[in-house]
Amino acid sequence: MRDFIQRPTRRRLTGWLAAVALGLTGLAGMGTGAGAADYPSRPITMLVGYNAGGQTDLVARAAAQVMSDALGQPINVVNKPGAGGGVAARELTQAKPDGYTIMFHANSVVNNDPFLMKRITFTPEDFEWGGFITVYQAGLITQKDAPYDDLDGFVAWAKENPGFNYATLSPGARMIMQEIAKKEGLDANYMPVKGGGEMINAILGRQAVMAMSGGIHAKYPDDIKTLAVLTTFRQPSWPEVKSIDEFGYALGMDGRAGLMLPKGTDPAIVQALSSALQNAETDATFAKVTGAANIPIMFLDADAAKAEMERTYKEYGEIYRRAGVEPQ
Amino acid sequence: MQALISGFADVLNIYTLAWICVGVTLGYVLGVLPGLGKATGVAVSIPLTFYLEPVAAIALLIGIAKGSAAGSAVSAILLNTPGEPSSAPTALDGYPLARQGKAQKALKMGLFASVIGDFLSTLVLICLAAPLARYALLIGPVELCAILVFSMTFIGGLSGKSLIKGLIAGAFGVLFATVGLETESFIPRMTFGLLELDDGLPLVPIAIGMLAVAEMIVQAGNMRQLDAETARIVDGGAPEDRVVLWSEWKRCLAPILRGTLIGSVVGILPGLGASVGSFLSYGATRRASKNPEEFGTGRIEGIAAAESADNAVVPASFVPLFALGIPGSVIAAILIAAFVLHGLTPGPRMFQEQPQLVAAVYAAMLCASGVLLLIGYTGQRIFAQVTRVPIRLIIPGVLFLCCIGAWMETGSIFAIYIMLAFTVFGFLAKKLDFSFVTFLIGFVIGPSAELSFRQSLQILDHRWTKLLDHPIALVFIALTLVVLVVLARGRSAGPAGGVRPARDPQITPTHHEGRIS
Repeated sequence: MRDFIQRPTRRRLTGWLAAVALGLTGLAGMGTGAGAADYPSRPITMLVGYNAGGQTDLVARAAAQVMSDALGQPINVVNKPGAGGGVAARELTQAKPDGYTIMFHANSVVNNDPFLMKRITFTPEDFEWGGFITVYQAGLITQKDAPYDDLDGFVAWAKENPGFNYATLSPGARMIMQEIAKKEGLDANYMPVKGGGEMINAILGRQAVMAMSGGIHAKYPDDIKTLAVLTTFRQPSWPEVKSIDEFGYALGMDGRAGLMLPKGTDPAIVQALSSALQNAETDATFAKVTGAANIPIMFLDADAAKAEMERTYKEYGEIYRRAGVEPQ
Repeated sequence: MQALISGFADVLNIYTLAWICVGVTLGYVLGVLPGLGKATGVAVSIPLTFYLEPVAAIALLIGIAKGSAAGSAVSAILLNTPGEPSSAPTALDGYPLARQGKAQKALKMGLFASVIGDFLSTLVLICLAAPLARYALLIGPVELCAILVFSMTFIGGLSGKSLIKGLIAGAFGVLFATVGLETESFIPRMTFGLLELDDGLPLVPIAIGMLAVAEMIVQAGNMRQLDAETARIVDGGAPEDRVVLWSEWKRCLAPILRGTLIGSVVGILPGLGASVGSFLSYGATRRASKNPEEFGTGRIEGIAAAESADNAVVPASFVPLFALGIPGSVIAAILIAAFVLHGLTPGPRMFQEQPQLVAAVYAAMLCASGVLLLIGYTGQRIFAQVTRVPIRLIIPGVLFLCCIGAWMETGSIFAIYIMLAFTVFGFLAKKLDFSFVTFLIGFVIGPSAELSFRQSLQILDHRWTKLLDHPIALVFIALTLVVLVVLARGRSAGPAGGVRPARDPQITPTHHEGRIS
């Protein structure tokens, strides 16, 4: 069904373009396959699987600018929202592996979403990885004036107050609280919320006593505090807040944003993109953009990114399976 | 106050004013062109904001938001193709007026109502951003659910000739709105395995298909008749048909103020949006009128009510953004991006850390209101000529723009397929006299109503007695009941033929209430 809708048009379109290119230049076969030596010799398209204006989109655009300066070719950011990046990632798998179609996205589309959504079946092997530049500061959050200061305190409070409201953004967010509740014998109410803005609303408006945040709460230091961070390491914005693993729940997962490329892209091109991305580490404008949104910069190069993806895909899949979460 | 004056000092320079004008003009023209609108404007302007000074970038975005909200009335009035769903109620009375040769009058009223609503709502934002936003947080899911259920009673008022058909269309709207991933478990609903449908059916292509493309097909069918009418309109055109008369001003004052109030409130609340604002305002004005049956035949109050609310939503939706850092609308979300790009964090701390910038943004918003009046007034004279163009020349252009508009938001051909599918749906609805307005109400309100209802269940811990802790919700539930009773009585007492028994209008609302209480 999907193919029926997508393919014929695409094929016709590419056919057309090919014909035009042929007619114009007469250089059939040269075209895009020019190879890594003179890469990049024309503008690059960067897919972003979220809406324009979101956090990841902002980082992507800032990164695109840095990379474009380094590579000497414009990088056009194209937003293809849908299915948490699934639509864009699928388009990437169908793109030519020539380095001229790349994607900037959260790695959760490969190491998280397949365990939640049955129709998203990506594995790390479906892509080449061009490096990660930022991390998401996910955490369990609550109101600043709440009577507890860390996850242990919350658990103690929750035992006295059964039926508390926990705002869940996604099945992943729900799973975290379910695992804690299962272990500690808590009675939680799960209140679904749509999107980060609504989640923040639920906390500021005191409709929920706790929520999982993907990192947006860093913008509200006066009203919101973090009880535990959900990454495997402590986060730069709250070095004093312990990670969920430190609290004794093996649920830590790291979300990173960076470059994905179609499978089979020339390793030299992957390297070129990875080192272009590395420039963002020290770029002042990039620092300003990420700093305003409190997004930490943690660069991993192409090789480290590939290893990270292979490891986390296995580990996170195991966390979801242990928790009994079935992809829907 | 002093801050505001210094804010004006920052804004009143050629550079910033120029970007305000660019924004308003771009927004207005995109709004006027059927099929294009805010979504297009945003796509165009995001890369631009990278290179601009903060105030200029923000002024540009605000200008686009304000301009497109006002501009979409023009195509609604002239061609019966609302540029955005929020202008759909404007077309109900605007298009009949245009076909009576009073296009200029209708356009002027639309613009004046837009600018007044916009200006007053901006003042609300400036004076009350911080306190109002704190208060808006008290409006939690329980209250929101009650308000949404109340909004659904307006389906009754906007159904057109047949209430039962209005309800059917509304139910279809709710049905189509359920497509996509369920929020809590990510279980896909009616997506048929298409990843593109995971986030639900997109509003923009649906609105374009149903409102604009379907209308073009209908008009293509009536080409001869429309061209004959057009010839007559050119011959007519008395001076009093081109201006808003004093007597009409008097009639429209109350609807405009009511619309501004409704639009401001709707804008401040999270999760409602411009369409709900203009639907509510139009419905309220119709209900307040002594002759509600005349609405839909060319009542100028209808335009005033819809447009004032439509535009009042825009500045009001920035209230939660400025005061709390929470985006209240799509444009507000983009504005966050613009703020962040320039190293600023929207939210309460902005007032302390960047008072100068906040003042400049306010000043830019007020200037944008003035610019909107100027540009709209000039632009209208040009756009009004469209009524003289033969319809066979208009249709291809509009269809082209519709395709661009549908494609633009997600950049995928899939959106165009959706547009075409809903064109068929809209065409059948028009031919069979089903109201597309009630369809849109169902489509826009349905998902929020479902989510807020489920959230309410958790908050109330499944016990209806806990509802007593939510007085605002109780007020709206009571209002809903009152409206339903009034509606039911009016219907059963009325002489209109083919009206179903009085219980029918209650189907959708009481269904929800029954579960709450």
